[in-house]
Amino acid sequence: MNKLLLCVLCVLALFAAVVPCFADTVNGVLAEERVVNLPNDQGKWYISVVGNASDARYIEVLGWFDSKPSLAKLKDQVHFCPVTSDTAIYTERYASNVKGLPTVRMQRADGTVVYEAAGKDIPMTAGGLNGALAAAVNEARGLRPILPWRRDADNRLNNLERPKPQPQPQPDPEPQPIDDGGTPDLEPEVGLLGWIAAPLCCLSLLAGLGLGYGKKLIAKLKEKLTPTAK
Amino acid sequence: MKRIVLTAMLLAMVVGCESPGIFPMPASRERPAVNLPLEMRQRNWQGAQGQGSCTWATMVSLLRWQGRYYTADWVRRSCGDGEWPGDMAERLDQAHVRYAYVTNGDVRFLEWACRTRRGCGITVKGGQHMVALVHLDAKWAALLDNNAVEKYIWVPRETLIAEWKASYGWAIAPIYTPAAPLPQ
Repeated sequence: MNKLLLCVLCVLALFAAVVPCFADTVNGVLAEERVVNLPNDQGKWYISVVGNASDARYIEVLGWFDSKPSLAKLKDQVHFCPVTSDTAIYTERYASNVKGLPTVRMQRADGTVVYEAAGKDIPMTAGGLNGALAAAVNEARGLRPILPWRRDADNRLNNLERPKPQPQPQPDPEPQPIDDGGTPDLEPEVGLLGWIAAPLCCLSLLAGLGLGYGKKLIAKLKEKLTPTAK
Repeated sequence: MKRIVLTAMLLAMVVGCESPGIFPMPASRERPAVNLPLEMRQRNWQGAQGQGSCTWATMVSLLRWQGRYYTADWVRRSCGDGEWPGDMAERLDQAHVRYAYVTNGDVRFLEWACRTRRGCGITVKGGQHMVALVHLDAKWAALLDNNAVEKYIWVPRETLIAEWKASYGWAIAPIYTPAAPLPQ
């Protein structure tokens, strides 16, 4: 009887959940429609690369977003808008507010400019632009990137030493992913140490409990073995 | 018996989970959300059969807004006259255009189109005409009519929805990258 009730409930729930997904009434007629997943990307950030279509520098900067893996990845995560100066979009939406051409501009979904560089202010290399964009995103999130040579700066200053920059080739900083919600996520990944630390903590806890129980057991045994005064 | 009651409670919780409509405010403060430059607004034209091409004109404007200039030019050159939802979809499929549409008057589609700043074509005048919906918020909707592209037409949200639903509730939107918002 219980099983029967359970089956009936399951079937009813299935109908209630499935039917509205596939059918809707239009003018009293049941119409089936293909359901597609619409991109819910209203929170995505924008990157505009603006310039003259025949300008070699514009073409070069635009090309970085295809050739440089980290920039190509970023391009996929934002609304990427190449804009040439011969279009109406440029005339009405960029001409009055860019400082020069080419321009690279990164904006939040609400239009707030997070990074903008024009002409000679655009970094010389794709890696440089990548770093500039990553730094701008960090700043927008309220994170202050620590440069490699500054990591031990506090210690050195405490010892009255001045920080000495030691330029070394560093890996390209990855611009943070920007998901559909638009909130950049720069949380550090859980490293190997983190994965090892968690089970170790559990083991320590178990060991602690075990030891505690063992002590109690020994105490009980001692109590039993020791003659008591009655 | 306890198990049955527990299962029933869980199922009831799941079944009643239709989420209410999300408030359709666009992310940008720009009004209208789809603020097409005048030059990019496509006027209606007469097709080969002598009919107006409002559906295609709307599609051309929206494609331009989403940076698809070549596709927009192709539509302008190759398509025309009045269209039915199915025929238009077939044509767009052949051209590998990314789009979505509804014919059931589902307001959530309009909200999505304006929230994501893509805009969409919607039927009005009892289904005889299509215009572009370029803004929809809690109170107002803005339309761009391809027969008079100079100005946006602002109407109360409920009035627009009533008109659309009385016009077969067909809406269609290309799905590409909308133009960036004006800098804030």
